Amino acid sequence: MPLTDLQDERTAAIIDRLEGEHAPFLSILHEIQDHYGYLPEPALHEVSRRLAIPLADLYGTVTFYHYFRLEDPGPVPDIWMCESSACCLRGIDSLERELASSRQGRPHSGRVVRIPCPGRCDIAVPIFIGEEVFATAEPGAAGDLPVATSALPIETGHEECAFSDIRKEIASLEGYRAVGGYSTLTRAASDPDSAIGELKASGLTGRGGAGFPTGIKWEAVRNESSDLKYIVCNADEGEPGCFKDRCLMDHAPHQMIEGMALAGLVTGAEIGIVYLRYEYPETLRSLQAAIDEAVAAGVIGDDCMGTGRAFHLVIRRGAGAYICGEETSLLNSLEGLHPFPRDKPPFPTTHGLFGRPTVINNVETFATAAVIVRRGGEWFSRLGVGENQGTRIFSVSGDISRPGNYELPIGTPLSTLLNDLAGGAPGGRSIQGVTMAGISGGFVGAEDLDVPLDSGSLAALGGMLGAGGIIVHDDSRCMVSAARASMNFLAHESCGKCFPCRIGTTRATEILDEMRSHAGGGPCPSRDSIGELADLDEVMGEASACGLGLAAPFVTRTLMKYWPDQVRAHLDGTCPKGTCKEART
Amino acid sequence: MIRPPVITIDGVETTFTPGETVLEVTKRLGVAEVPHLCWDERLDPAGSCRLCIVEVEGRRTPGASCTLRAEDGMVIRTASDKLRRMQGHLVQMVLSENPAEVSPRNADVGPTELQQLATDFGVSRDRFLGRESNRSKDDGNPLLLRDYDHCISCYRCVRICDEVEADHAITMTGRGFAKEIATPFDRGLLDSTCTLCGQCVYTCPTGALADKKMVGAAERGAPAAEQKVTRSICPYCGTGCSIDLHSKVDADGTETVIGVTPALDGPVNEGALCIKGQFGFDFVNSGDRLRKPMIRKDGELTEVEWDEALDYTAQRLRSIRDDHGPKAFYSIASGRAPGEGGYMLQKFQRAVMGSNFIDNCSRA
Amino acid sequence: MSNSIPEIEDAPFLLCVGTNMTECHPIIAVRVKKALRKGARLFTIDPREVPLARMAERHLQIRIGTDTFLFNAMARVIIEEGLVDEEFVATRTEGIEELARHVEAFTLEEAEKVTGIPAELIREAAVGYASAERAGIYYTLGVTEHICGVGNVQSLCNLALLTGNLGKRSAGINPLRGQNNIQGAGDVGALPNNYPGFQPVTAAECQEKFEAAWGCSLDPELGITKLKALDWAIDGTMKGMWICGENTLVTDPDVHHTRHALESLDFLIVQDMFLTDTARMADVVFPAAAFTEVDGFFTNSDRRVQRLRRAATPPGEARPDWWIIAEVAKRVGTPVNFDYPDAEAVFDELCELSPIYHGLSYERIDKGELHWPVPTKDHPGTPFLHEGEFLRGRGKLQCVDFKPPAEIPDDEYPWFLTTGRRLATYHTNTMTGRAEGVSVLAPNEWLEMHPSDADELELRGNDWVKVRSRRGEVLTRVKVTRVSPPGTMFMSFAFPEHTPTNFITNPEADPITETPELKVAVIHVEKAEAPDLSDYDPVFQIASRNGH
Repeated sequence: MPLTDLQDERTAAIIDRLEGEHAPFLSILHEIQDHYGYLPEPALHEVSRRLAIPLADLYGTVTFYHYFRLEDPGPVPDIWMCESSACCLRGIDSLERELASSRQGRPHSGRVVRIPCPGRCDIAVPIFIGEEVFATAEPGAAGDLPVATSALPIETGHEECAFSDIRKEIASLEGYRAVGGYSTLTRAASDPDSAIGELKASGLTGRGGAGFPTGIKWEAVRNESSDLKYIVCNADEGEPGCFKDRCLMDHAPHQMIEGMALAGLVTGAEIGIVYLRYEYPETLRSLQAAIDEAVAAGVIGDDCMGTGRAFHLVIRRGAGAYICGEETSLLNSLEGLHPFPRDKPPFPTTHGLFGRPTVINNVETFATAAVIVRRGGEWFSRLGVGENQGTRIFSVSGDISRPGNYELPIGTPLSTLLNDLAGGAPGGRSIQGVTMAGISGGFVGAEDLDVPLDSGSLAALGGMLGAGGIIVHDDSRCMVSAARASMNFLAHESCGKCFPCRIGTTRATEILDEMRSHAGGGPCPSRDSIGELADLDEVMGEASACGLGLAAPFVTRTLMKYWPDQVRAHLDGTCPKGTCKEART
Repeated sequence: MIRPPVITIDGVETTFTPGETVLEVTKRLGVAEVPHLCWDERLDPAGSCRLCIVEVEGRRTPGASCTLRAEDGMVIRTASDKLRRMQGHLVQMVLSENPAEVSPRNADVGPTELQQLATDFGVSRDRFLGRESNRSKDDGNPLLLRDYDHCISCYRCVRICDEVEADHAITMTGRGFAKEIATPFDRGLLDSTCTLCGQCVYTCPTGALADKKMVGAAERGAPAAEQKVTRSICPYCGTGCSIDLHSKVDADGTETVIGVTPALDGPVNEGALCIKGQFGFDFVNSGDRLRKPMIRKDGELTEVEWDEALDYTAQRLRSIRDDHGPKAFYSIASGRAPGEGGYMLQKFQRAVMGSNFIDNCSRA
Repeated sequence: MSNSIPEIEDAPFLLCVGTNMTECHPIIAVRVKKALRKGARLFTIDPREVPLARMAERHLQIRIGTDTFLFNAMARVIIEEGLVDEEFVATRTEGIEELARHVEAFTLEEAEKVTGIPAELIREAAVGYASAERAGIYYTLGVTEHICGVGNVQSLCNLALLTGNLGKRSAGINPLRGQNNIQGAGDVGALPNNYPGFQPVTAAECQEKFEAAWGCSLDPELGITKLKALDWAIDGTMKGMWICGENTLVTDPDVHHTRHALESLDFLIVQDMFLTDTARMADVVFPAAAFTEVDGFFTNSDRRVQRLRRAATPPGEARPDWWIIAEVAKRVGTPVNFDYPDAEAVFDELCELSPIYHGLSYERIDKGELHWPVPTKDHPGTPFLHEGEFLRGRGKLQCVDFKPPAEIPDDEYPWFLTTGRRLATYHTNTMTGRAEGVSVLAPNEWLEMHPSDADELELRGNDWVKVRSRRGEVLTRVKVTRVSPPGTMFMSFAFPEHTPTNFITNPEADPITETPELKVAVIHVEKAEAPDLSDYDPVFQIASRNGH
């Protein structure tokens, strides 16, 4: 018989305290895990009963996330080490051995757990011990790890928008107000249409990757008649190679808060939720402090700046799942449902969080919107190169002299960013190619590095701009291995809902693995590897249910496009770069 | 007057009810065979298998017709070469997940939905091979076989358990290719809220789930000369669910029921059954069934021939009626046996014994 | 049922009373779940927090045996708050003034005291039910197996009549029948008061019709009920009995009484598939073919007439019920025709004589689409009854007085016992007990009790207890569960060989239907030593139950 009556008083107390909050599901689970170190069975029974979520559904949902644990991990934490695309360029195998045997000055289990990209490609390889984050530059430095710091963006000499004030110490409310921060709220409350007008005029589109016009989205939610609407900020920056949202939240938190409050006042939503990725523990603390400061000052809360309008803002912490960066998965995650993407339509503007009209935008979008409404849509619109409107942020990492975040006019050539601003590949090497959109936009090879950084130009090359992450690979890198790293990440993060992505990403990874293995002396693949990859590409790219699967083929297609010789060499048993010797497993 | 909305599917124009999906309209219209694996008419469409993709004029990528709502003016193509090609590849990808193309269920229930699709598309399990997904879980329950080696993660079992039965006994755990079907804390079904209704078995498109009683039943004892399926009605509660009785026919013509499957077109149950209807049929095969009439002789019930039993009974009844009148004998009809017997008994009591001394067992 | 099962899924409001539907009618519950997914509101009324109650918007956990009081109080709310369907009441019912006066005394405050349900919750249920565009009432034996069973049903029906929830789709008053063909058994005339098709034996024209059809004279006097027949057996007036497919000894309340009655008979015929406890007492036992081995029909709870078909060979010389009875009839000697070539011929005769089946034939019930009445060959059947008018004119609103259960806890018997079925054990388990594997969900009987009662009795799960009533005692194990409310315990009657629950149930019956009050007895519970099961309870010696 099922154990249906297991009870847990501690959990009951946590639920008593949190159940009245907005979308409390994730917070409740995190508090339980913070208390016990994991989610004990009686606690899940209690949650199931109290939140009326069937135990099986709850169990399945919990197992979806990397960082919810069902077993007691013991008193000392493991060492977490990133293994994703930018970090695996840093020789993580030897780093892993060093980490396991070194003390780091704090207690740890000695077990190194490889984790997917935690959004610190600029300080690759980041190391987590408990809630503390450390940076390592290169193998050999592992014995004495510096605590990771959050770098300011790099100046480009071009006029900026999102970053325009970020170097003026605007992390404090006082500093932010000194640059004119929060001045848009009173105006938006009295004249919401003008704010929407500015956004429309600016040409701002969603910076999370999908690129939907922000003004139109806000207007759609404004036009919905519902007594309850939500503003949700997608701060689940999970794409390898992307770390711009963290930079904005760390150094300009109020700019994002203003953007969300603006959206609330414009659309009539009184509740805002920041869905913050699990891997940003320092940001969680600083952002919460910023929110508390804004509430204390009456900027947001029951009465935003004396407008008589309310806007309440809470943070909900994710638990480690890339797919939750997909907006409908994110909404399901907040609701405590299995975080599969929803079918669209309907869109969140009409049926969002808990079925209510919802604005969901990424951090950069909100932070940019706040500045646009302050400084004018026309102004922003003119910042782009040629026909392009505005600026956007690029996170550059990998084999590059100056990794970091750059805000540039849309349409700036990629080579300008890489060579003129970021200093090109270090050590006198040349750039062989870069990933786009983090990793899910595939690659751009050396011959196309002059491509203007705008969506249309990237699409013409068979890739996409996405969330603006760029990981540079110099001429020593095996691009089959680079593609494998990208595809492996996608396979690992595939939610498992739709067949093309669930099977396709795994099979594509396996085919790339076989090639690398053969080049390292392993058996020759017996299949038609290129033919199967092409067929997988087609099925994934046409038939997948969400962006993850639809984008996955960019990786293999652009690999075949730019480096067919490397692929063929692997199939003939040789890695031209000589790095696949160790791949034989 | 408002013009009703219109959709064109493979050149055929038709009206539709707002809210209908393209797949529903296509099925209703009967113009095209759209393949699918994760779809079951009893369930909310999931859009998982993506086999039902169709081309929508004006859209860059095809859409899953099971979740795609029909829109006025939509133009749909279901059968381009490209769609057929991708669907074939998808079926091959799915086949690659499992250890073999043959299902252990084939002997009992014939080809599975997945095998039928492989045949339709002329593809086999010879491409995209790699790791296999899922793993078999024998949890010791006596009724439901959970052979997840053959699972393709369509989640129909989970969805029917949630949406139709509302038992919420199983879920999907993990992510991506590592997704599995499990009870809470991955224990056996008997440690879950499972009611052993068997609904999951009869929505499973691959035979990963099966009725343990039926697996191999046709080959047990004397192998069946043939099998037959007979529509009947569940003998338990008053709901009246339609069931299909599966019988094996031995060489000597003896027919034995070996299993029950729910009737999807049963007007009451529409494919649903509970543990009793699904698994409770085999009392009819119990070794203690009465095989001959019996008469009490010297205090003991003794088997006799029909003639003796009938004549003896007739003689006793005549004497009761003749000696004590029509109100000294009472008949009780069964509320569980077929109605013809009840009719006959009341006719006998009224017309032969001479009174209305008849009742049925509804009072207790 | 006044309305058909598929209609449930479109009901905007469902009031489920005294029904453990997910266990006892799981597939009807599937329709309820569908309705819930479509946004229906579900209110449940039951002393136990059965699984269905957990799906409900509100559960009215009623003190056992106080149904009439609750329904009268709900009627009062509906009248008081102006929620009566005036047109329906004016045109189709009678007795509204009397009812309004009668329910005056059933105030919410009083109802809360009597039923234990918060007044506001009663009001909410009444208002919700009465305000819905269509609302269906669904109930089972939790309403009827009381000494006031008829009163319960009548006061419940008042709610449907007051709100016009009869004669339309997805509404009505719907008793869910517990056995596959219990409806059919009544339909074919296995009743002391009716010929087939509910034609009264006391109506001269009906008697004449059947005399003409059968070619014999018929008794114009009402018969007696089964329970009375057993009493007559004890006093010696009843000499013989023919029991078809019923394990009377086990299913009826107060086993000692039933046993005595059957022992008193001169001649007992039992016709069954198995040598049941009842069959062991018989003078003649006829081996009946099973439902898989014959052609025939079942009529289910919503009056749907459906075909069963022969799919297997009967064991040995087992025969269809109709054949056995016809053979006996012929040998007793009668001018009435008992020659039938097959089951279909029997069905055709039934249809010929029964107006509600008149339009039916094996061909027409092939797919089971028709609900009776089907008066003609081209009639489409009647999924819901009472459209336009009731069979007997106006619907009578009944003024029912509250009558407490026959037994109320006292110092000696401080606990209520109620009985029912569990999902995997059907009835007396003669069928489920012989189905391999099914027993895994319920391998033995349990006395289910609330944790607080278990604490008070210092009992834990699986402890053995002696359960005693004024009529006898049984041994069983304890199951601690919040399904049972404090003070009220629960047992099934599925394990007669070890735990013959009907040793202790109360045979006091409703005076009209003679349905015994199986839902309420009072008991004494005490901890017991674990019995030696090898020789425990020689009363029911079912030899090898499982012939596999």
